[in-house]
Amino acid sequence: MTKPLTRPLALLAEVTYRCPLQCPYCSNPIELAQYRRELDTATWVRVFGEAADLGVVQLHLSGGEPLVRRDILELVREASRAGLYTNMSTGATVADDAKLERLREAGLDHLQVSLLDSRPDSNDWLAGAASFDRKRDAVLGAKRLGFPVTLNVVLHRHNLDRIEEVIALAQDWQVDRLELAHTQYTGWAFRNRAALMPTRQQLDHAHAVVERVRAAGTDGLNIQHVLPDYYFEQFPKACLQGWGTVFMGVAPDGFVLPCQTAREIPGLEFPNVADHSLEEIWFNAPVFKRFRGTEWMPEPCRSCDRREIDFGGCRCQAFLMTGDPAATDPVCHLSPDHHLVDEALQEAQQSDPPLHFRVMSR
Amino acid sequence: MKEKRLIRLPVLAMGARYRWDKVRNQHQLVFPEGMIVLNETSTAIVRLCDGRSADDLIATLKDTYPGSEPADDVHEFLRDLADRGVLRDKAVD
Repeated sequence: MTKPLTRPLALLAEVTYRCPLQCPYCSNPIELAQYRRELDTATWVRVFGEAADLGVVQLHLSGGEPLVRRDILELVREASRAGLYTNMSTGATVADDAKLERLREAGLDHLQVSLLDSRPDSNDWLAGAASFDRKRDAVLGAKRLGFPVTLNVVLHRHNLDRIEEVIALAQDWQVDRLELAHTQYTGWAFRNRAALMPTRQQLDHAHAVVERVRAAGTDGLNIQHVLPDYYFEQFPKACLQGWGTVFMGVAPDGFVLPCQTAREIPGLEFPNVADHSLEEIWFNAPVFKRFRGTEWMPEPCRSCDRREIDFGGCRCQAFLMTGDPAATDPVCHLSPDHHLVDEALQEAQQSDPPLHFRVMSR
Repeated sequence: MKEKRLIRLPVLAMGARYRWDKVRNQHQLVFPEGMIVLNETSTAIVRLCDGRSADDLIATLKDTYPGSEPADDVHEFLRDLADRGVLRDKAVD
């Protein structure tokens, strides 16, 4: 049973790992200092053209902080010219009105601004830098310029109790979308798991707030609420809708990843855009075939009715928790490793360790 | 209540735009974090969400497809787009 191979819909271009912020749940690699090399402008432009030819619809320019690239306007312009729908995820601390206006002119379709908390002091503490005021100014400036704006808030123990304030802020700033995404425990977040994991009571409260706000009507604000899989899911997330199915990422140094945190899995060999086209990589690179489809699956996934619904869950999470990237995601209640989830929750309830903030040098 | 409302002045939400996908040979409505594949009729509807009224849009479709009665389908499709946040009713803004 082989299904026709799909083409990717989304390309994540992490154009740099440099960032003025130090968010303790960053999805960039822990060993940031190993990855200082960055692709030049011409190579990124070629990659965007290859992505469009391969069938990519949405480009996500991200990082790190994409706006620290001096050529970012040219990258946006060329991506847009290639026919890609261009999104940018930014911390927005270096996005003044003039920069935003030039991004708009360059053809950027959608701006996503991260916010760490509803209160300036807590936002700035979590970001490791004074940034709340600049984020607010950037959001308001972007709205004045006619950008659709998404506010991205990663939720965890230290901000979850203010979810109602976060929603009120999103309404006050008149953003179009609010993404309330619970921390996904890979990368820096896995390292900080015991310090970030909320309590069951916090989650129940937050869930009730979102339901109440939705029922009352959000007046045009589109609220996406991504639940934490450790607590709420009987089954794992359909991570990326399956490995090598709709998504590919290109890291700052040109390595092509089936998932932006896949570098955490040892033993995988990643191809580089310097050596192959995106098309060759998508269809032929062993790393994209490694967990594609259902052939690789162990039991209980292999014979499970849901194998093409959740695709065995997240490979990075499976590796980080069990040491085996081909294991069933332990979040699944059918996983033989499911006790690891309960143990992680217990550990988090019983301790309050300090946060390790993201740093580039050791 | 929501099921019955009529959208009178349909305009695409900020950031939503029509796109022809040359690789897949399909019409698409692309928007932040999403995409809808359009068939011929829905493409015609989306491309007419240019500031004209829904009544005008329906009349135009009738001219394009003689003998059709698209009103109910158009309103349902517009409501569906509005529920997904990719269409606004300028009449109620």
